[in-house]
Amino acid sequence: MKTIPIALTLMLAGSVPAFTQDVTKSPPPGAFKAVSSLVKLPDFLPGMGQLFVDPATLPAGPFLAYDHDGKLVSTVFMLPIKDLSPDKRFDDLAAPGGVVDHVSVYYNAGHPGVEEPHAHVVLWHVSKADEARVAK
Amino acid sequence: MRGKDDGAHVWFDPIGIRVSPGQMVRWTNRDPGNSHTTTSYHPAIFERPLRMPPGARPWNSDYLLPGQSFSVTFDREGVYDYYCVPHEHAGMVGRIVVGMPTPPAPSAEAGSANPVPEVALSAFPPVEEILAKGIVRRA
Repeated sequence: MKTIPIALTLMLAGSVPAFTQDVTKSPPPGAFKAVSSLVKLPDFLPGMGQLFVDPATLPAGPFLAYDHDGKLVSTVFMLPIKDLSPDKRFDDLAAPGGVVDHVSVYYNAGHPGVEEPHAHVVLWHVSKADEARVAK
Repeated sequence: MRGKDDGAHVWFDPIGIRVSPGQMVRWTNRDPGNSHTTTSYHPAIFERPLRMPPGARPWNSDYLLPGQSFSVTFDREGVYDYYCVPHEHAGMVGRIVVGMPTPPAPSAEAGSANPVPEVALSAFPPVEEILAKGIVRRA
C-alpha cells in the first residue's frame, strides 16, 4: 500500500508546471528583465504598465505587466503578423500569471524589441474596470 | 512623431514638409507609449537605398523616448526621405523637400540589399503635393 502514495506523489510532481515562481509582484524572479533595461522604451507604457520579459523568449514572451504599485495586471504575448502563417506555430507559451479574467487581442505597429507589426494577446489578471490601473 | 495609445497606428506629423535651404527641422516624440527614430535612407546607415540628394549628409536620431527631440539642418536642395526604424514596416515614413529641386523627384538608388518595403513606398506624399501645400499631413 505504501507504493501507491509514492507513485501518486511522483505523478503530481510530474504535473507541476515548470514555472512555479510567484510573479504577482514586481520585479518577477528568475530571468525576467525590465523591458526598459533591454531596449529604449519608457519604463511605464500607458495602457500596458511596466513590462518584464525573459530575453530568451523574445519576441513572443510572455511579457509580465505591472501597475504603479508593482502588482501584476496582465500577461502579454507579442506575435509577429508574418509568423501567423500556415508554417509557424506558437506552442507551450508560459502563462505564469494565474487566473485570467478576460483577454484582449489587438494589432501593434511595432516598437523597440519587437520591431515589426505584431499582435498583442493580453491575458488580463484583473477586471475590465481595473485596466485603468495601467491606463496612464 | 505620434501614435495611438495601443500602438496600432504610428506616424510622422506632418508626413511631408517643404523648407528652404539652411532651415532646421526638429522632430519631437509626442507618442507617450513608444520610441521612434528619424532615419534617412542612405547606404551608410543600415545599407539602405539612397533617397536623398547625393553628397548630402545622412542622419539617424537613434531611439527618441517620449518628449525627446532631434534636429537636422538642410543645406542642399532636393528631396529627402526618412523613416522610423521600428515602424518602417508599418509605413511610418516622411518626406522633406528642400527648396525647389529640379527635377522635383525623389532620389532613389535601386538594387539595395535592404530595399524599401512597399508599405513604406506607398506612404510617401507626392513631391508635387508638398511643393503645392508646404505641409502635408496624414490622410
